[in-house]
Amino acid sequence: MNGVHDMGGMDGFGKVEPEPNEPMFHSEWEARVLAMVRAMGAAGAFNIDTSRFYRETLPPHIYLGSSYYKKWLLGLEDLLVDKGFVAASEIAAGHAMEPAKPLKRGKFTRDDVERIMVRGKFGRAASAPAKFKPGDRVRARNIHPTTHTRLPRYVRGHVGVVERDHGCQVFPDTAATGAGENPQWLYTVVFNGAELWGPDADPSVKISIDAFEPYLEAA
Amino acid sequence: MKDPRGVLADFGVTLPQETDIRVWDSTAETRFLVLPMRPNGAEGWSEQQLAELVTRDSMIGTGFPRTPGAPS
Repeated sequence: MNGVHDMGGMDGFGKVEPEPNEPMFHSEWEARVLAMVRAMGAAGAFNIDTSRFYRETLPPHIYLGSSYYKKWLLGLEDLLVDKGFVAASEIAAGHAMEPAKPLKRGKFTRDDVERIMVRGKFGRAASAPAKFKPGDRVRARNIHPTTHTRLPRYVRGHVGVVERDHGCQVFPDTAATGAGENPQWLYTVVFNGAELWGPDADPSVKISIDAFEPYLEAA
Repeated sequence: MKDPRGVLADFGVTLPQETDIRVWDSTAETRFLVLPMRPNGAEGWSEQQLAELVTRDSMIGTGFPRTPGAPS
């Protein structure tokens, strides 16, 4: 979706303000939110792409006004309500009011933590040969899906060069909506700064994205 | 994306104009780490000694590793 999260190239946010000696978490609740999201994903309540899509669909003013883990919490709440794991009234009350719904996997104990915190693997067997190879010129398609996509707006319609083939991987666009893993070839595509940002761009800058094959056409 | 040189300056990193800049937008599940350049004065150091010089920022491309003898 052309949402507020897709902010590459946007102006007006001010300078980056690095935080010296940044802690892992700024409050204890942030660690709990991380644990809840990972545990519910591992329990089979949702996949990583669906959880990302729910963060992206937060109302723009909420998205922009929320910290990293606040977005995780708000997206998780909406997702669990939509999937029927909790009721909105339970979130408002701050405690369970109905019997728990069974999960595909889980519940977990302390011994499961290390396994659950390891990210999944996304590589899959290929069902067709790769259409592109390193060195090929490709154009990012001018497409505007209304659901989750990993194709940033700022590359759409622009021409770059394939630099690397990452093999076949789970396609987030379909995984996010529950339409299946639908594995696709994944490539690193490099764009010149001027191709994306016009003649005034810094000529010493190149920008890469990782692009799934359906995002690309030969150029 | 549009002004990486300016973003690096926000992090206190000013690079000469002749230094090329590569930006990786991490749009899939692949995660990229930067291999920091060996700082002057660390020639011949062991892996363990070099690890003492590595910072988070130097591995995400927004800073240089510590220089030998500098306070950590």
